[in-house]
Amino acid sequence: MSKIARLLLIAVFLIVAIGPVAAQGPVEIVFWHMEQPPHRVARVQELLDEFNAAHPDIVVRQEPQNWGEIYTKAPAAVAAGNAPDMLFAIPDFTPIIRAVGAVQPVDDFVAEMNEAHGFFPAAIEPYSYEDHVWAVPLWNMAHSLWYRKSVFAEAGVEPPTTWDEWLAAVQTLTTDTQYGIGLPANRHLYTDQTTYDFMINAGASEIYNPDGTLRFNNEATVAAFDFYKQLYQYSPPDSPNWTWGEAEACFASRTCASILQFTVITTYDTQAEGDPEDLGVMAIPHSADVEQSGTIAYVNGVMVLTDDPAKQEAIYTFLRFLLEPENYGRFLNMEPGLFLPVTESGSQAASYWEDPMVVKYKSQIEVMLENSRNGMLFGFTGGNIFPSIAQISAQNLLAQTLQKVLIDNMDPAEAVAEGQALMEEAIED
Amino acid sequence: MTNATPTTTGRARTGLLAGRFRRPAGDTLLGYLLVAPLILWLAGTILYPLLSAIRLSFLDVGIIGTGGQFVGLENYSKVLGSDNFWEAFGRSLVWVVANAVLQTLAAFITALILKQRFRGQGLARVWVILSWIVPTVVVVIIWRWLLGTSGGIVNYLLVTLGITPQPVGFFGTGPTARTSVIFINSWRWFPLMAVILLAGMQSIPEELYEAASVDGASAWQRFWHITMPGLQAVLFVMGLVGMLWSINVFDIIWLLTRGGPSAATTTLPVFIYDTAFFKYRLSRSAAASVVLGLVLLAFAVLYTRVMAPRAEEEQG
Repeated sequence: MSKIARLLLIAVFLIVAIGPVAAQGPVEIVFWHMEQPPHRVARVQELLDEFNAAHPDIVVRQEPQNWGEIYTKAPAAVAAGNAPDMLFAIPDFTPIIRAVGAVQPVDDFVAEMNEAHGFFPAAIEPYSYEDHVWAVPLWNMAHSLWYRKSVFAEAGVEPPTTWDEWLAAVQTLTTDTQYGIGLPANRHLYTDQTTYDFMINAGASEIYNPDGTLRFNNEATVAAFDFYKQLYQYSPPDSPNWTWGEAEACFASRTCASILQFTVITTYDTQAEGDPEDLGVMAIPHSADVEQSGTIAYVNGVMVLTDDPAKQEAIYTFLRFLLEPENYGRFLNMEPGLFLPVTESGSQAASYWEDPMVVKYKSQIEVMLENSRNGMLFGFTGGNIFPSIAQISAQNLLAQTLQKVLIDNMDPAEAVAEGQALMEEAIED
Repeated sequence: MTNATPTTTGRARTGLLAGRFRRPAGDTLLGYLLVAPLILWLAGTILYPLLSAIRLSFLDVGIIGTGGQFVGLENYSKVLGSDNFWEAFGRSLVWVVANAVLQTLAAFITALILKQRFRGQGLARVWVILSWIVPTVVVVIIWRWLLGTSGGIVNYLLVTLGITPQPVGFFGTGPTARTSVIFINSWRWFPLMAVILLAGMQSIPEELYEAASVDGASAWQRFWHITMPGLQAVLFVMGLVGMLWSINVFDIIWLLTRGGPSAATTTLPVFIYDTAFFKYRLSRSAAASVVLGLVLLAFAVLYTRVMAPRAEEEQG
């Protein structure tokens, strides 16, 4: 072997041996979330900057996405090898990413955090199936009925608790310039949510039987769709095109006397009167067949996608930081009054309750928290959790069924039967 | 003048053939090399996705990124046997015809007006093209605001002027949503057609109109016997390209209605997207895409054979 060849060999050896050591820098974590409004991105960045400064060996970077695209984009990114290391989730999104083989179980870490901060049991349940926990719960969101106390008082309407009272109230509140209620009828997640609110309050919260077959087609579901139709006639005529924003705009502009929504606090405070004394919030009224009001509740979490142990450890370090009470409240208050705590320590954290907006609307947030305790999510109830709910949810089949009643004027019983057939077709594979 | 064209063309052809025989091998190679990047680019961006879609249509892939087994023609059978597919197909036909009629009418009227000489003609020509320049998402936001029931100006006027007792849900029922979406899409695209027609009209010699006027032809006769024949080539291209564009429109429909309410505005592209990314039937969606591609190909061939202006017609 010539001298030059030997030198070259040594050089190659050195590059291979030392290169990775020399190149080793901080562990970089990319996470995708779907909290796009600029003030939410800014709050997340504030926390990231603090974390990154305190952990020079880790760099966490956010890449905001939107809910409208994520069901398409995330599986494609996984397939292309460009998936983020962490991805925020709602329970029915997780099975889709699991189907492309990217989600790592987080049982041990969730147990550790449960020990440290005390997760509310309902927070872990929607992510626990097939012997593992698939996401770390981060916050909860629950629907309530929002209204203006002065508008109700002027119309002589008391906040309703039952469906009969609710229908009468909505009829009274409807005038030439005001709709009694704003209810969506779009084929959209928002409509799925409001539809499920009615189903819960009609006693039709279970979609699955324990054996995984569907039990959507039942009398209670039909009653829920029928009552939705009765209220819908007092809703604006463009509500078949609504998402959450249009409903909030309708309420803020006083076109709608009441709406079902996770929160209206920010919109009401910045684009309407902003009078905390006049903003009313209450549990969603229930039918005579049900004893207690319930609501849809979404526990949002974060999935770990990377299988690199170093990155996983860095992610856990970051999540430990985030769930610490002094940080957790600030994290939740990226949208004050929308994101509710899922841990005992978080629900008592000063960082949560001392936010100026939370102080201002404290009574409303306390009602929201109370409502969220009776929250449930379609397909994740009663221990009957089946990943196929992802297909039903992604296609907005609750909303599609509702459209058959509201837009196509189909009899509710017939529509619900067709809805179940659509669900069975959706989960056939 | 009519004799000159064949002579020139013939001479050019002779020269071209002669040139080809004499061209050195190096020149030919250089030519291929220069064209190669474009060919590769087209192969990578059109041919490869096309072949991938065809391959995908014979598999049973659900979610993008997952694997699939060969299932032969099963996806085609399911697509062609699906009521939803044929309903979407029917809506696509209505969509194309309605858009073609509306846009052509609006474009002709606009082009004829813009062809006249008047003060502010230049400004008017720029102004009319604005709706086409504005990005689709902005168009959608504008129209959703205008037509909304919470503060929308159209509903405000309708109610204030007593035209309707209540605000109209323009996207609230099937017929109103279909009409609204067609109207908005036509509003967006007719300026482009108007500009093309205007360019075509301006290429018609003014002497023909002057001669016809001297002979006592009315405005309608001048339009029908001079303008229309003069625009035949332009109309042929606009018809073909416009139909193909129109049937493939997805963005404006999706952003306005997401194909609703109750599928009332679900045309084939919306159906295909929905099948792939909401129903998670990627292969079935690919099969529907291939079927649509074949339909468009058949339409293009038929249209070209039947509607292509003959050479003597083009030369007047």
